[in-house]
Amino acid sequence: MATYILRRLLIAVPLVFGVLTLTFFIIRLAPGDPAAFFIQPGISPNVAEQIRQQYGLNDPIPIQYLKWLGNVLHGDFGRSFSRAQQPVFDVISEALPVTMSIAVLTLVANFVFGIVIGVISAVRQNSFLDRFLTVTALFFYSMPEFWFALMMIILFALKLPLFPVSGLNEVGAESYGPFGFFLDRIWHLALPVTVLSINGAAGIARYVRGSMLEVIRQDYIRTARAKGLSERAVILKHALRNAMLPVVTLMGSSLPFIFSGALFIEVIFAFPGMGRVTVEAIFARDYPLIIANTFVSGTLIVLGNLMADVMYAVVDPRIKLN
Amino acid sequence: MMTTSNKPRNLLLTLFLLATAAMLSACSKPKGGQQLSASARDTTLVVAMLGDADYLNPVIGSSVTSANISGLIYPSLLQSEFDTSTGLLNYLALEKSLRPVTRGADGARSPKGALARSWSMAPDHKSITYILRSDALWEDGKPVVAGDFKFAYRMYGNPVIASPRQQYLAELLGAEKGAVDFDRAIETPNDTTLVFHFHKPVPEHLALFHTSLTPLPEHVWKEVKPQEFRESKLNMRPVGSGPYRLAGWSKQQEVTLSSNATCVLPKPGNIRRIMFRVVPDYTVRLTQLQTGAVDVVENVKPEDFGAVRKANPGIEVRTVGLRVFDYVGWSNIDHDWYHKTGKVRPHPLFGSPAVRVALTHAIDREAIIDGYLGSYGTVCNTDISPSLKWAYDDTIKPHGYDPALAAMMLEQEGWIPGPDGIRQKNGRKFSFTLYTNAGNDRRNYACVVIQQNLREIGIDCRIEMQESNVFFENLQSRNLDAWMAGWSIGLEIDPLDVWGSDLEKSRFNFTGYRNPRIEQLSELAKSKMRIEDARPYWVEYQQILHRDQPVTFLYWIRETHGFNRRIQGAVLNISGTFYNIDDWTLKPSANAAP
Repeated sequence: MATYILRRLLIAVPLVFGVLTLTFFIIRLAPGDPAAFFIQPGISPNVAEQIRQQYGLNDPIPIQYLKWLGNVLHGDFGRSFSRAQQPVFDVISEALPVTMSIAVLTLVANFVFGIVIGVISAVRQNSFLDRFLTVTALFFYSMPEFWFALMMIILFALKLPLFPVSGLNEVGAESYGPFGFFLDRIWHLALPVTVLSINGAAGIARYVRGSMLEVIRQDYIRTARAKGLSERAVILKHALRNAMLPVVTLMGSSLPFIFSGALFIEVIFAFPGMGRVTVEAIFARDYPLIIANTFVSGTLIVLGNLMADVMYAVVDPRIKLN
Repeated sequence: MMTTSNKPRNLLLTLFLLATAAMLSACSKPKGGQQLSASARDTTLVVAMLGDADYLNPVIGSSVTSANISGLIYPSLLQSEFDTSTGLLNYLALEKSLRPVTRGADGARSPKGALARSWSMAPDHKSITYILRSDALWEDGKPVVAGDFKFAYRMYGNPVIASPRQQYLAELLGAEKGAVDFDRAIETPNDTTLVFHFHKPVPEHLALFHTSLTPLPEHVWKEVKPQEFRESKLNMRPVGSGPYRLAGWSKQQEVTLSSNATCVLPKPGNIRRIMFRVVPDYTVRLTQLQTGAVDVVENVKPEDFGAVRKANPGIEVRTVGLRVFDYVGWSNIDHDWYHKTGKVRPHPLFGSPAVRVALTHAIDREAIIDGYLGSYGTVCNTDISPSLKWAYDDTIKPHGYDPALAAMMLEQEGWIPGPDGIRQKNGRKFSFTLYTNAGNDRRNYACVVIQQNLREIGIDCRIEMQESNVFFENLQSRNLDAWMAGWSIGLEIDPLDVWGSDLEKSRFNFTGYRNPRIEQLSELAKSKMRIEDARPYWVEYQQILHRDQPVTFLYWIRETHGFNRRIQGAVLNISGTFYNIDDWTLKPSANAAP
């Protein structure tokens, strides 16, 4: 297993590197200019040129690539063009905690609610409860997130002012003390996490239900019941474990989401997370930031896939990793 | 069987408990939070902004948001006042003003915030001398001295720093040779005397405009190397001396200012804190305005006014204008030919002024205004705003909507309807693509009306939306035959970037329009030492543009901003929404603790 993981990690290095190189050239081929903002009446025509000079964009692209390569190999991904020359990893490390706190809460809620609803639906197959949960899940699953988010805001922030409309904290939250500040943060996260997890949980519930239905028809479940085990033990110990296999894949592939952020939610709820960093960087043609983002998300996708494969082997003894 | 049915019920129960716990933890907070913030809210102004400020440093800050916030943190040499009755900018020092102060009129400002006591312009208009007050202090207690201005101007002019304001230095000694000679151009004989020398006679109003850039504290910044200026950590801790100081800056979330107790420039009313919050989504900004979570939202769309006012009568819509207009650009010259040969020949479709006038007659500008802007739009004739009354020619009669006249003019030009109803001339169909940037509802609406209008007189127009960066690059490299875009005009009229005949130098002459008289008029106007004397030139300028229609000017837009009525004393005018923000006060809420 250890050699397998090591081999996969070694393969990942040129893979991520290839992705970065491709990104480097593709963004420079795209129309648009990082200094375009400075091309406007009332601003001297020299400014855009001086800015390009500062960013090193006047060199031929192969030279730019070599310089970039040298810096990256020294671990220096450069400074953001559009965000006041902050080092790109500072920008990312400011946005990551916000994104991660939403994503982790969302993922936990997703899987907890998804699995619970899925199991109930499967155990009570074709009952009213199952149909109700299935239809409700489908209803939410097919709803566009941004629209759902706006509806939730109108309902629970405007008509029934229970939750704040947006932002991470109330005006003046610093004076609440650390615990109060934390509660204020949770209060602000309630709506966005609900929106994200209702949508996600609905999808996971469908998976769990399907996989659970297959498992409870197996002979060993009948055997478990026959030997007099309580229904609880049968479902939770014998059936659920086996039904979790496809869900494990989902967990692995959810890893990049934790870091990449949910753009719509961040825009609507005004959270300064990774989704906005990425999209704003693309619109501003902020090359170093785009590349750093690609690096972070590319690495995580590779790691997420690796983790899913490893977890497979852990939960299913039949799978051998070579 | 009993057990089987119990299990899911237990699960459901757990689920319900979990949800309740989450709700409880959530609900217990708001009560405390709202009470606490109710009294804090009475002294806190919250402004919603689209994006974060870039630098809170007057030398390199480039966004309007940055300028608004920097203006509260840093002192200014002069106060400027916009006179709505003439459209002229007035400059005030403590003991002197360029023009009589418009006391009592809308927009009147007190000069108390100015660092200059007075100034004197040399008789030859080649230098200006300021006498500064001696009691203004930087936040760290050091006095604001003339040297701080000279130091800041060196930063503004340093090509490594690439300040977007280096244009302001264009008249200083040495600039005519390519680099300002700061030792000679700016003199500081003592701490309260500041002298600027120009290489040519400069009208007083322009000299005041260009020499009143914001100073930086030299003692704080002098160790910072120019190449590290933009990266410096000092940008996150600005040392100013204005009515507010930076209290906190969470990037991409909010900028918090608190009133500066040591400020000798007039202190703000009862607003102790100003928070600029980043709220990227328009609907959410509007919702926050309605719930009272923010007090000011800029650029509220006309179609939302009704709903906002109904939802919260405490909101008022205030307008600023007229500074922004939309237009349809026609390429006057054949761009392909120009790219290939460097020579100019008229564009096959839009090359003739008569055709362009016909197109303007064919477009129902009133219908676009009625349909989208309502009372917040006015037909636009040229790029001189009706708000600049001293220069605006109100005798110009707009080219009205008249499809029959348009058709007749096109026929006179040889454009005859073909078998498919589309006009043609010498085998060339009158068919083109109208480009605009994606994501602008107003332009989208106008494009569709224009397409319809043109179809009615036998012109085939397709619409294509492009991502803003792509669109702008295409405009700049003159790849588009017809497009819809907009301009936001400056308060100084300087049209050569847009209409200059030298196509390589005039970066914004996207149409390729060339008329030497326009250049002459601009130069003549700029050479007048009294701005009012330039009026005849600007009147002729407007008449030429109206006659030649290098573009079809569509409409001026009155910008509309949502304000909470608890804000008092706010004056809005063409020079900005936050024109006199340091004079604003907040009306206490009825239920606030005494």
